[in-house]
Parts: sequence; C-alpha cells; structure tokens
Amino acid sequence: MKKHTGLLYTMPQILWLLVFFAAPLCIIIAYSFLRKGLYGGVEPQLSLDAYTAMANPNILLVTWRTLKISIIATALTLLIALPCGYSIARSKNQAIRLFLVIVPFWTNFLVRIYAWIAILGNEGFLNDILKALHLTSTGVQFLYNQTAVILVLVYMYLPYAILPLFSTIDKFDFTLLDAARDLGATKFQSYVRVLLPNIKSGLVTAGLFTFVPIFGAYAVPLLVGGKDSYMLGNIIADQLTKTRNWPLASSISMTVTVLTTGLVFLIALRKPREQKQVFDADPLLLQPVQAGKR
Amino acid sequence: MDKLRKVILDVSGFLLVSLVLLLSGCGGGQSKTLYIFNWTYYTPDSVIQKFEKEYGVKVVYDTFASNEEMFAKLKAGGANYDITFPSGDYVSIMIKENMLEKIDKSKLKNFANIDPKVLEQCDFDPGNQYSIPYYLGAAGVAVNKTKVASYEKSWSIFARKDLANRMIMLDDMREVMGDALKYLGYSVNTVDQKQIDEARDLINKVWKPNLLKFDAEAFAKSFAAGEVWVAQGYAESIFAEVDKANWNTVDFFIPKEGGPSYLDSMVILKGSKNKDLALKFIDFIQRPDIYAEFCDYFGFPSTVNVPARALKKGESWYRPEDLLNCELKKDVGADLEKYNAAWQTIRVGK
Amino acid sequence: MIHTHKKPSALRIALLWKTRRMLRRGGAAAKKFMPARSSLSNVIYWVVIAFLFLPLFVLLFYSFNAGRQTTWQGFSTVWYQKLVMESPELWHAFFNSITIALGSALMATAIGTLAAVGTARYSFKLKNFVSTMSFVPMILPEIVVGVSLLIFFAGVGLRLGLVTVWIAHTTFNLPFVYLLVSARLEESDPSIVEAGRDLGANESQILFRIILPMALPGILSAFLTAVTLSLEDFVITFFVTGPGGTTLPLYIYSMIRFGVSPVINSLSAVMVAGTVLLVYPMRNFLKVFAAH
Repeated sequence: MKKHTGLLYTMPQILWLLVFFAAPLCIIIAYSFLRKGLYGGVEPQLSLDAYTAMANPNILLVTWRTLKISIIATALTLLIALPCGYSIARSKNQAIRLFLVIVPFWTNFLVRIYAWIAILGNEGFLNDILKALHLTSTGVQFLYNQTAVILVLVYMYLPYAILPLFSTIDKFDFTLLDAARDLGATKFQSYVRVLLPNIKSGLVTAGLFTFVPIFGAYAVPLLVGGKDSYMLGNIIADQLTKTRNWPLASSISMTVTVLTTGLVFLIALRKPREQKQVFDADPLLLQPVQAGKR
Repeated sequence: MDKLRKVILDVSGFLLVSLVLLLSGCGGGQSKTLYIFNWTYYTPDSVIQKFEKEYGVKVVYDTFASNEEMFAKLKAGGANYDITFPSGDYVSIMIKENMLEKIDKSKLKNFANIDPKVLEQCDFDPGNQYSIPYYLGAAGVAVNKTKVASYEKSWSIFARKDLANRMIMLDDMREVMGDALKYLGYSVNTVDQKQIDEARDLINKVWKPNLLKFDAEAFAKSFAAGEVWVAQGYAESIFAEVDKANWNTVDFFIPKEGGPSYLDSMVILKGSKNKDLALKFIDFIQRPDIYAEFCDYFGFPSTVNVPARALKKGESWYRPEDLLNCELKKDVGADLEKYNAAWQTIRVGK
Repeated sequence: MIHTHKKPSALRIALLWKTRRMLRRGGAAAKKFMPARSSLSNVIYWVVIAFLFLPLFVLLFYSFNAGRQTTWQGFSTVWYQKLVMESPELWHAFFNSITIALGSALMATAIGTLAAVGTARYSFKLKNFVSTMSFVPMILPEIVVGVSLLIFFAGVGLRLGLVTVWIAHTTFNLPFVYLLVSARLEESDPSIVEAGRDLGANESQILFRIILPMALPGILSAFLTAVTLSLEDFVITFFVTGPGGTTLPLYIYSMIRFGVSPVINSLSAVMVAGTVLLVYPMRNFLKVFAAH
C-alpha cells in the first residue's frame, strides 16, 4: 500500500498529461518528419526537409537574438523579484501583498501593452514629462527597440517569478540570517551565502517560469519591438499562419523542447547533491571573514 | 485546520457546480441558430440584430483576426460554423481543399445587385459557385496633414528620408510586397524570382530604413496618437482610432500605382446544418438598405452593391474608382515560399 | 582553501546549528516579533507594485477620456455607459473567461498539488521521469500546443467549445501548479510527516492536516498563477474554442482591425476595482497562513 501511495497521488496528473499532452505532442513529432502540405497540414510522406530548413542563417540569427533577450530579461526579472518575494514572505499580510502583485495581470495583456505604448511613446506620458522639464525638445525614442522589448517582458513576467520565490522564501528559517550575522557575516553575505542556497528550488522555478515563456514570446516583440526585434516565437507563428509550413514549425518547436528538457533534466539530476549543500550553507561563510572585506 | 479543510472543500464544490451548470447551459444548441465566423464587427451589431428579428433566429458571432488563423482553425475541423468570410485567395484554397458548400444562387434575390465588374474579378471562383462577394477594398496610406505639408500620392512616400522614423507599414507579407511590386510596375501575384528580389531590395534598402517598424496590430493607434505621421493600413482602422474632431487632419489615399486589393466573400462551410438560413443571411446582406447600413458603419464606399450606392448617407474614405489600378491578391501556391524567403530577410535582418 | 580552515569551520557549523535550534524552538512567536528589518526589500516591493500598476493608472485615466484617441479630450463617463448598456458580447466573453479561469485553475491546482505531494513525499520508480515530464508542456510554444490540441480534439471527435478550452487551459496550467507546489514542499522538513505518522495519523489526516497546510502558500500562489495564465491566454484558446466560446482575450484581440474600443479600459478599471473590493473584506481570512 505505502509503496504505491506516491504513484496514486501522481496518477491523475500522469493520466491528464498522457491524454491531453502526450498525444498531441506525438502529433507534432510526427508532423516534423513529414512533407508540408501546400495549404497547411502535411502530406503523408516522410521527409527531413523541416530539419534541414532550420540551418537557414535567418533562423540562426533570430535564435541567437532570442537567447540574448531571454537571458537578459530573465536575469533582470529574478534580480527584481527576489527582494519582492522576500518582502512578501516577511510581511504580516502576505496574501494581500501577493494579490497586489497579481491583480494588475487580470486585465488583458494587449490592453496593458497599449498602456505601455501610451507611456513610452514619442508623444507619451514620459516624453511629456521630459519635455515639460526641458530635458528634451524632440522626445526620446523609448519604444520599438530591443530595450523596450526587454522592459515590457520583465514587466509581463515579474509576477511569475515573484510567486515561486515568495513561497520558498516563506519557508526559510529567517533566524538563520541572524545566526550568520552573529557569526560575523555582513548583511549582504548573509543573504548570498545563507538565503540563496536555501531557496534554490524557488530560484530554479522562478527562472523556468520566466525564461521559458520569454523564449517563446510572440506578442511583445511584435507590439513594442522595432525592426530588429523579431524573435523565435514570431518565426514559429509565421510558419504556422503565414507560410503554412507546419512541419518547420514542428521541427523548430521540437528542437527547442528537446534542448530545454535536456537542460531541465540536468538540473533535476543535480538536485540530490544540492540538497546536501543546503545545510553547510557555503564554504565562504565558514571561513574567517577576511579583514579587508569587513 | 479542519476549518480550513472545510472552506477549501466548500469553495471548490461551489466552483465545480457552477462550472458544470455554465458548461451545460452553453451546450444546449437550438436548431434555429446561425453560427458565423467573421472578423470582429465586420458585420455591424445592428445588422445582426435586424436579421435576428426579421427571421426569428439567433446568431452566434465568433471572431478571428486574420485569414490564416481562420483557415488553420477550420482546416483541422471540429468547429461547426455555417458562414465565414475569407478573402479571395483563401476562397480558392478552401474550394481546392473541399471545405465549401455550393451556393444555390437562384435562391438569392439580391444577387443581381452585385456590380458585374466585381463579379468579373472573381476568377478565384468562376461563376460564383461557392462564394458571394461581401466587400472589395484595399489598404492605402494615411497622412497626418498637420505634420506633413506636401506629398505625392505614391508609394514613393516611404522613400522620404525627411520622414524617417515617422512612418509605419503593416506587418503583412503580401500587402507590403504587393505595394513594392506595384510600384515597380509588376503584378502583385508575380512568381518571377527576379521581380520578387527587386521588390525585396526596394523595401529592405529604400523603405525600411525610414520606417519606425512593421505593425499590423497597433498602427492605427500609433497614427492617432501622433506617434507616426504616415501609415500604410486600412482606412477603417485609422478612422476608428482617430477622434471625429480630427478627421479633417487626415488624408487617406490609395497610391496612384495601385496595390493589392482584397475581396472578402461570404461562403457556406461544408457540414453546415443551417444551409437555408445561411443563404437567407447572405441574401439579407446584399439587400440595398442593409448593405448601405454596413458601408456607412465603416465609412466604406459601396464597392460591391450597386443600388446601395444611392442609399448611402455617410461619407466614404475612398471611392470605388480609386481601386482601378489595384489588383486582387491571388493564391500563388507553392511559390509562396519565394515571398516567404524575401519577407523573412526583410523582417529578420537588422 | 576550504581545507586549510577545516577546524574553525566545524566549530562554526556547530554554533550555527545550535543557534538555529534555539531560535527554532521559539517558532512562530520568534518570527512574529522580529521587526521587519529588511527595509530595502520593502522599498523595492513598493516600487515594483507601482511599476506593475502604472499601466493600470493609464487605463483608468483614459477610461474617463471623452475621446477614444490617446490624447485627452475632456472628462466623460461615456465608456462606462457603453460598457453597461451596449456591450452584451463583451460581457458574454468576460463571463466565459472568468468561468474558464476559475474552472481550469481549480482542476489544475487539484491535480497538480496531488502530484507534487506524491513526488515530494514518496519515492517510486517513475518519480524522476514524472517530475521532468511535467515541465514539458511549459516549453512548447503556445501556438504549437494550440494547433496540436486542435488536431487532437478534431481527431477524437470532441466538439469544440468551452469544454475543450477548459481542458486546454488545465493542461497548460498543470506544470505551473506542479512546479510551484513542488518548490514549496521540496525543502520542508520530512520529520514532521514522520512525527504525524508516529502519532497514528492516517493517510488522509496526514494530507489534510499536515502536508496541505504546510504547502498552502505554494497552493495559493499556484492557484493565482493558474487563474492569471488562463485569463491571459489568447493563442491556445483561439485554436481550441468553438461556436459561442469566445473569451475576453479573443474578443479584444479580434477588435484590432477596427480599433480596440476604450470600453475595454473601463472594463479593466471595473475588474481591478472589483477584485480589490472582493479581496479586501477577506483580508482577515487571508491572513490565515501568515499565522501558522
């Protein structure tokens, strides 16, 4: 009985994903190895066209750009989300603070992006203020470049990073921070050496929640990006809707999926070792703090 | 914690019950319901309501944002709509893919109202066996007259360096490529690689450096906000966003070289359970008073329906004659790849 | 480096542990009277909240604009009147969205939490496989998930409509719920469950009285995330919905060609105000997990 309890708990999810995810996934895998139909769909004919078409320099350039934007945006998001999650976890009224983070996201994303355009545009609020302060006369071009894409992406995915960080930090035993400081660590060191190693799973989750959707971002680069902001998500969508090349869309998606899953699997395999490290926090803390650094 | 458990159970129970009720409530379909799949507002609410009243039926109106999405969705099957509104190139694709029902034109009293010149253009469906024209139009160029004093009504406006970063074009492959092809004197449906390359270079090297971006979603908003002064796009979108008080500051024109035009048609989908009702709806739309109401709602010229031209009360953003040099976009089959490669270079490159 | 300092380290570990145990005994009480000394993180939190709400203030501002353009044309409540009087389709889409969001979040939270408990608390053969494979739906681009689900539903002959939307939303919500609850459960003390078992608690008591309360912040986060993701989704919904199943994002997105009406601004303002009004009276109930 006890031996199977775990499996029993997991069963509903396994079944659900098998039926509603694995089955469609198999369709995609199969599609990526077939020849494209003239008007979408596929012809029942084996082909590796979709994989050879991926070597296109345009796609490689966009992949590189997407990777760059995703990494920067994810790093920024985590950096901002971490103190927020911490602040919520230490607050007396966690639920209200959580709600404040999530409520803005219950209004439609398109409408919020339009609002950003109204704020950042050439004739927008921000430029109006700058003009009133005589800091600029012609207005600053904030929108329609990669920086704008990164800004709005950070905005869009902040809550998804804050939530997991909050729920793991909340479990953290804050007295450990005091202990560390009693032992001579500076405030900053105590956060980096004691807090961070203890909330690794939250960090990983937050990183996944932001990196993965940003990597597939589609609407944000279209709306606030400029001529240089086309991302992989746009290419995939174009293949499905504009050029009706379903196999190519499948093969790009499959490649992205296999690579990312491999990465996740590596992280998952490393986990048992990490957990051991949690308690000896970090070797550095255990060393006598160097005189100069204090 | 027992209290907590009870709260969780109560709340989830309540939500589940209401979910089931809502879902079952939506499932109950009547036989007298017409399912329409169309662009949002493309048929005004007032027209739909009149139809419901006159025929004592219910209309369910669902929406899509592009031909491609509509097609991808219907191709897979499973969505049981009666009528949809594809553009010409998609009518021919849907005919080839055996997705459409034949239309019995003898049951359409108002078919005679349609301009024969428009019917002539329907070579994607010779003899209109499967499709009845809904609206013929074209994208053009909107200019903010308060910012741009003089200009030529030509696609060459996008080559003007003095307007750099104040101009925008649609993120739409066939539209923008078609404009460049027309400007160069070629057909918008050319499959000649050299001509396509030439158009690609014109856009990439001459037009694109002056453009703020390619955008099919927010171009009208950007124009209305004064963000851009010249926008290639649809008149109805532009004037929907610009406040009425400022309409006199906007000039909308179809460039003299012409461009790609579109002819949206009404079609009945295979498997429709309400074919008769669908026919009645199509006939209803072509009734002169209804068609005039539709055109006035958007500021469209009555390009398709002849008697409606006299009944129209409002002004139009352009005239049917403006479309003389335009050319209908057609399905180019496998040669679409050529366009795709050209467009990818334009969109992806720096 | 580390080796040279081995002795002092061991001593420090012992000290660390001792302090930790001592303070732990104080438990919740210690946590409560500890002053929130992290003023910097609080400042950052409120700055972020301002950042997140900034676009909403813009929406609120424009919802009272007489014109529809993005320049101020004078104060007016015309968009609110239109919202109430002339927007039956919009309300229909809105209620579809709410139903789907709550329904799919509930289903995903139930299934995902169970799975997270299963993998965090027990070990079994397929455990690693299950936990890794649960992430995959997150990775696939939305549009691909949408199209593949559409092909699948069409293949098995399921009629497209709200039910298929609900299934799709539950599916893409699952990995988020699973990961969030897992992250919460992962590093919590297994000895508590052992203690419970030693004291004679049965399986359901352990689940409801120990594990779930322990995971509550994670579960709440998961539920909120799921609701949010579901309210946001446009791409997948477009493909799996059927006649009468238009949701709010679909409705708004398809307005694009003829201009997104400012009625949406007023709806957004009403929604945020409504949520705040709903949540505010519940604030005491919601404090529940700050206390445990």
